[in-house]
Amino acid sequence: MSTPIHNVIIGSGSAGFGAARTLRKSDDKCRITMITMDSLPFYHRYDLPQVFRGKQDWRDLLDVPPAYYDEMDIKLRRCSRVVDVEGAAQKITLAHQEAVGYDRLLVCAGGRGYIPENLTSYAGLMHGFGSFEAAMRVYRDLPAGGTAIMIGGDMVGIDLALTLLDTGYKVTLITNGQTFWPHEISQEEQARLLEVLAAKGVTIFKDSRPVGVSRDNAQHAASCVTLEDGTEVFGDVVMSFCGLASSVEFMLGADVDIERGLLVNPELRTSNETIWAAGDVCQIWHDQEKAYRFYHGWKNVRVMGELASRNMQGAHEIFDVDIEDTIGIGPDGQLRSTFWTH
Amino acid sequence: MMNKAGTDIQIAICGSAGDGTIASGDIMKRAAALMGFNVIAFDVYPPEIRGFGKCISRIRISSQQAYSLKQESDILVSLNDMHAIPHVGEVRDFGAVIYDDHLVSRVAEGGHISAHINPAQIPYGFSIRQISEQATNSARSRNIVILGYVAGLFNLPGEHFRKVIKSKFATKAQAVVDDNTKAFDAGLRAGRAVFKLDDVEVREPAEDANGAEVVMMTGNGAVVRGFMEAGIQSYFGYPITPATSIMERLAVEMPPVGGKFLQTEDEISAIAAAIGAGYTGSRAATATSGPGLALMAEMLGLGVMAEVPVVVVVSQRGGPSTGLPTKTEQSDLNLAVFGGSGDAQRIVLAPTNVEGCYRCAAMAFDIAETYQVPVILLIDLYLSNRYETVVPSSENAFAPKPRVPLKLVKGKPYERFALTENHISPRALPGEEGLMHTITGLEHNELGRPNDAIHMTMTIKRHEKLKNAINYEGLNVSKRFGDTGRVNVGILGWGSTFGEILEAMYEAQAEGISCSAMKVVMLSPLPVDALRAFFNDCDQILVPELNYEGQFANLVSGALGRPVTRLNRAIGTPMVVDEILAEVRRLYIQGPDTQDGARATGAGS
Repeated sequence: MSTPIHNVIIGSGSAGFGAARTLRKSDDKCRITMITMDSLPFYHRYDLPQVFRGKQDWRDLLDVPPAYYDEMDIKLRRCSRVVDVEGAAQKITLAHQEAVGYDRLLVCAGGRGYIPENLTSYAGLMHGFGSFEAAMRVYRDLPAGGTAIMIGGDMVGIDLALTLLDTGYKVTLITNGQTFWPHEISQEEQARLLEVLAAKGVTIFKDSRPVGVSRDNAQHAASCVTLEDGTEVFGDVVMSFCGLASSVEFMLGADVDIERGLLVNPELRTSNETIWAAGDVCQIWHDQEKAYRFYHGWKNVRVMGELASRNMQGAHEIFDVDIEDTIGIGPDGQLRSTFWTH
Repeated sequence: MMNKAGTDIQIAICGSAGDGTIASGDIMKRAAALMGFNVIAFDVYPPEIRGFGKCISRIRISSQQAYSLKQESDILVSLNDMHAIPHVGEVRDFGAVIYDDHLVSRVAEGGHISAHINPAQIPYGFSIRQISEQATNSARSRNIVILGYVAGLFNLPGEHFRKVIKSKFATKAQAVVDDNTKAFDAGLRAGRAVFKLDDVEVREPAEDANGAEVVMMTGNGAVVRGFMEAGIQSYFGYPITPATSIMERLAVEMPPVGGKFLQTEDEISAIAAAIGAGYTGSRAATATSGPGLALMAEMLGLGVMAEVPVVVVVSQRGGPSTGLPTKTEQSDLNLAVFGGSGDAQRIVLAPTNVEGCYRCAAMAFDIAETYQVPVILLIDLYLSNRYETVVPSSENAFAPKPRVPLKLVKGKPYERFALTENHISPRALPGEEGLMHTITGLEHNELGRPNDAIHMTMTIKRHEKLKNAINYEGLNVSKRFGDTGRVNVGILGWGSTFGEILEAMYEAQAEGISCSAMKVVMLSPLPVDALRAFFNDCDQILVPELNYEGQFANLVSGALGRPVTRLNRAIGTPMVVDEILAEVRRLYIQGPDTQDGARATGAGS
């Protein structure tokens, strides 16, 4: 009896989960192991603002019930951080010192929220929003009617901002180059969109560079962001919404090409023939542009995960979906973005 | 489940011998008791003293009365993944698994517990060793760090833990107390920093919870407390698992109050000395396990024949022979009730919980003295080592009654074994003036002198005098729980298994099955009338017990001439509530007309 192929997927987001499901549908014999730092089974992170609308039980956010993984014979390894991938030995080392071998590896580790470099030393004074636990901490620490200060304002942040306004909170937005990320829009378009936000009640500090975050301040507010011109912005929680930085550090020993993300060909294979990548962690070769580029957005990410899993099983499909997300103002005067549609 | 509201959680701490697993569980349960919760706890440890064996401490904490450990735990804490991995499956969905996520040595795939946590369980990994080393410069306090973490995660008040830590290490250097307190506080901070994702909830105990008056004790500890309150005067013993801790504690507690304690060279000497002391009027006892009772059987016969009061505690373990010395079983019933030569009926009491151990032990001397016979207190390892919160007697209810001197009838010799209406003879103690007499293992007449011809008469006397024991005041020799009147299923139980029986009965009732449970505390003489009434009320009778042969089922069936359905289990672990419940459901569906008593897993089927 031959040993079943062991497919390991690093990451349990849209790409990783979609890949696991696709793998299992086409091969009921192979081993599938998903390794994730997350504490929970797969849920859509885009749904996290829903905690402010009453969804505070994580089970309400799950895409499939926990039993699904057992039914599909998918081994889900949570709270497990990969610290090293040895490409030649086809071996993964986890932070708790466990070695996991693989036959084929798919990296869907996504990215972590980017914090502007001059603010990284203040990270401990800011709230994240990349997980259910982080979202619940914001919910816990933001008093009724309180103010959330957002630095940047990518589309995840804007979604949260609109939810907060709808649910009785206040939002202060300090814009920068990542505002409305990953949409690439003109200055004029950005100004038009910000007017919509201002009309909804968002206080906006346009293109003001934050230089510090503090807790103790003259107004006894929970948090204070100091801008480059000395202005102090007071609120209850401070969050950075400046897009994503790919999580690739653990791949340094994997014998793969890395730039800002893992470099993959249009079949989503890395320079190591047993390793594929999908989602926000990878840059895909674009033949026309003759460059590697990121494709963000939930729809792209999901398609990548499914496509990579088929290619892991021998297909040679090309990623050419490239669904460009669009943002604009709807007939009702509200912001509309395909980024939020899933 | 029985407890509809409030707190009802079970924590399992699993490690290797030497990890401090049992000590950790001990602090956990004592702290929970201080918080005012009801606690049931049971430790499983290996036969090896130290090294590689698995230790598990399970603690059930509830705001309402609970009767047994739960089949599923709400929280599993791993101090050793190799041992804890097989127990991940016992954690319920949305329960918590707590473990060290920073191991010092590499493990192969699947060697870490996180590989075995199912998607519905909540993993909580943290640096147990690292936190211990940072707090105390040593990894030895890992078992205390995890307590702090549990307290922090589930928002338990830290002061109770600190109090127990201080008390537990009171005899050690202050630095030991300080280090353990630091380790606890470091774990507490780590636990409080974690976002809680499980649905395990610990609420304030109800106002009518036991509060500060409760005492946390094991079955063996309860026996000791009962003995001490009853004024035990002499103890002779030889160590044997799981009875040894009775001897160890009495060795400490008896001498300061004038008690006589002696570790003898073997079990035969122990029972012989105890009978000798009992003969002199001393409240005397010994404690052993099945193999020791086998050795004591002949001397027990002397106690029966010579009508000497003595108390023998028997804590059963897996047998025969050395058997499973650290695992539980209820397979010495036959030996306790029938063991020895001749028609040698004695009184056998089998308490069903820790409080029962306390009360039965406290009453055993008076029962033995009243009926002038050896009394066996039959428990088992599960009950011996199980911790429960107990409300002790507030008054000195079990002290020896003042002895009423016997009156000599002028011109008539004193008859130690006089035939009387209630078959109990006036008992003089050696040295009492004018009441000189002999006792012997030979059959004897009223004066105590050897006599074969009176054997039938004396045999009747020795049996008939015990019949009234089932009416002994203050002792529930049997008790019915649950639905009254006619029921679909009656569950009959004895000893430590009865907690699981009660839990199963409550669950069956919740499912709409009319169900009763009866515990039988006095196994000899058997309360036949109460049993018959119970049988008459039940469409089906189920007898779960931890042995293969169905020893209690055989005893009851034989006494009543009525069939029962047996549920036998002899794998060294306590009875499982769900297994009892499954049988109750089956019997309920089967109905009243088809019982043949034949379905069993044991030899008695």
